[in-house]
Amino acid sequence: MNATVIIIFLVIVAMTLVITYYAAKRTNSASDFYTAGGGLTGWQNGMAIAGDYLSAASFLGIAGSIALFGFDGFLFSIGYLVAYLVVLFVVAEPLRNLGKYTLADMINARFDAKKVRGAAALSSITIVVFYMIAQLVGAGALIQLLFGIDYLWAVLLVGIMMTIYVLFGGMTATSWVQIIKAVLLMLGTVILSFLVLKNFNFNIMEMFTQMKTATPHGEAYLSPGVKYEIPLDTISLMLALVLGTAGLPHILMRFFTVRDAKTARSSVMWATWIVGIFYVMTIFLGFGAAAFVGADLITSTNPAGNMAAPLLAQALGGDILMSFISAVAFATILAVVAGLVLTGASAFAHDIYGQIIKKGKATERQQMLAARYASVGVSVFSILLAIFAQSLNVAFLVSLAFCIAASANLPVIVYTIFWKKFNTAGAVSAILTGLISALVLVSVSPSVLSPEAGAAILTGTPLFPLTNPAIVSIPLGFIGGFVGTLVSREIDAKKYAEVKVRANTGGFKQL
Amino acid sequence: MAKSITGEALQGPVTKEGHEVEPAGSSGRTELPDFEKIERSQGFKNLMRKKKLFLIPATALFLGLYLAFNIIISYTNWLDAPVVGDIPWVWVFAFGLFAMTWILVTVYMKQAAKFDKMAEETLKEFGYEEKEDIQ
Repeated sequence: MNATVIIIFLVIVAMTLVITYYAAKRTNSASDFYTAGGGLTGWQNGMAIAGDYLSAASFLGIAGSIALFGFDGFLFSIGYLVAYLVVLFVVAEPLRNLGKYTLADMINARFDAKKVRGAAALSSITIVVFYMIAQLVGAGALIQLLFGIDYLWAVLLVGIMMTIYVLFGGMTATSWVQIIKAVLLMLGTVILSFLVLKNFNFNIMEMFTQMKTATPHGEAYLSPGVKYEIPLDTISLMLALVLGTAGLPHILMRFFTVRDAKTARSSVMWATWIVGIFYVMTIFLGFGAAAFVGADLITSTNPAGNMAAPLLAQALGGDILMSFISAVAFATILAVVAGLVLTGASAFAHDIYGQIIKKGKATERQQMLAARYASVGVSVFSILLAIFAQSLNVAFLVSLAFCIAASANLPVIVYTIFWKKFNTAGAVSAILTGLISALVLVSVSPSVLSPEAGAAILTGTPLFPLTNPAIVSIPLGFIGGFVGTLVSREIDAKKYAEVKVRANTGGFKQL
Repeated sequence: MAKSITGEALQGPVTKEGHEVEPAGSSGRTELPDFEKIERSQGFKNLMRKKKLFLIPATALFLGLYLAFNIIISYTNWLDAPVVGDIPWVWVFAFGLFAMTWILVTVYMKQAAKFDKMAEETLKEFGYEEKEDIQ
């Protein structure tokens, strides 16, 4: 670790702490804590969404995947981006119009029932925990690589930083950490892309021609099928990505930080541009790393390819650029985990404590205390899990989180907004069917069970053939909601009229 | 909706007649409009029709193209052939999906501005004005 790394690293830490200090002064109510007072503008929230969404896995992982596997490494990015159309067309505006702090609020705008809220909170917490473990374990390993810090200390460092942001600065600090991260990430990616393109003489055609021979895969490098060989598995995973984003609680929560549906909509627009341009640039990063660093050096530094981008920075811009890119990766990690802590805390403190236990009658002080205790609780729990999961292969947990989001959350969201006959029993069964089927199927899938010792979490023969169960569990979530609704037959047309009017006009909010 | 509002100290909401609604924690009964009447109104029906006219085909289009792309690249080699120079079709289609996303977002932003206007008119018709319910 050289002096430049330490300086850039400290600057980022200091900057985020200053933000947290000012944010803390403005965090005086539960609404400030969960939604930054609902006062973010469209572009601010758009940047924050991008900051929340583009994890270290996107930055280092996708660049590395493209470097090692060519087109297949890029494939996920298509799903991650197109997913925003589902967010924009189906979820963002009704969510903002009906909800307050959490996804459960939105569903409970129609069904005022504890069991619905409980089920929604349970699925949110499950998603957050899986996503968080994957992020923290990844972060520990990355920081170990980037800065030479031990895994344990790396996890603790990230864990303590995220706790400080959320505990003191709530959503205001989290949002600004995410915005700054988005700016740094885009800056780093633009610089690297520029250097790569310069080395290809700013000629895209020439870049592709060179890539045909630059890697051990030869021509196949530019075509699908290098990494993903089981067609149905790929399709299942791509389905999880495109439908899952619209059910990810930490992304959904961001829509409560703006004042109305119109601003929610424009924040999706900003996010789509930022996220999309970023993914296009990862192609240059990946190709550049494959051509100018080489697959051998990339895999010998880290078999998963996570060091491709920093190594590329080293090759094209020397130590200073590598230090900057490493620091960007660190900022990236912090922004994502902070958003996750806040989301987990909102499910515990607002949904379970505030609404279910206290029946919505908690005082402002009680709500704030609960939110803060929950933040610390979620952080400590995640840090412990991440420490125990160090040696496990948990990378699949991210796509599992997308799968649960698509199977447990999306059906209930769609039915709540669009289906007149949908009812309380249907809502509970939609969430639980999606959640349980995704969990059960993945626990007997090749992601968890592998005949080869150490390749997955457990050794054994997988009973379900696909690594991602989305193609089965998403339809099951929809069927669960449908059957549950028909079985109970309860119907409240009046309430649906209200939800429909409020969701589509933005009027009569939160009465 | 005779539901008590959550424990938070809302400063709003105000009913359409302009009376302050009782704050949180109290009985929380609020005077609400007849939502079914709004739902049946011509203005609201028009809004829903226009929305469906855009959202259903647009969603079918992007999900259809996305799934078709994934099925084709997973099961066939159709897109492996180069289109210009050494760039294979698959990259062109992948970028096409990116472009599709940006185009649909832009088109929707324009459409949504119209929806906003229609929604506003419907709300006005029923005596509701914005800012009344912003906390």
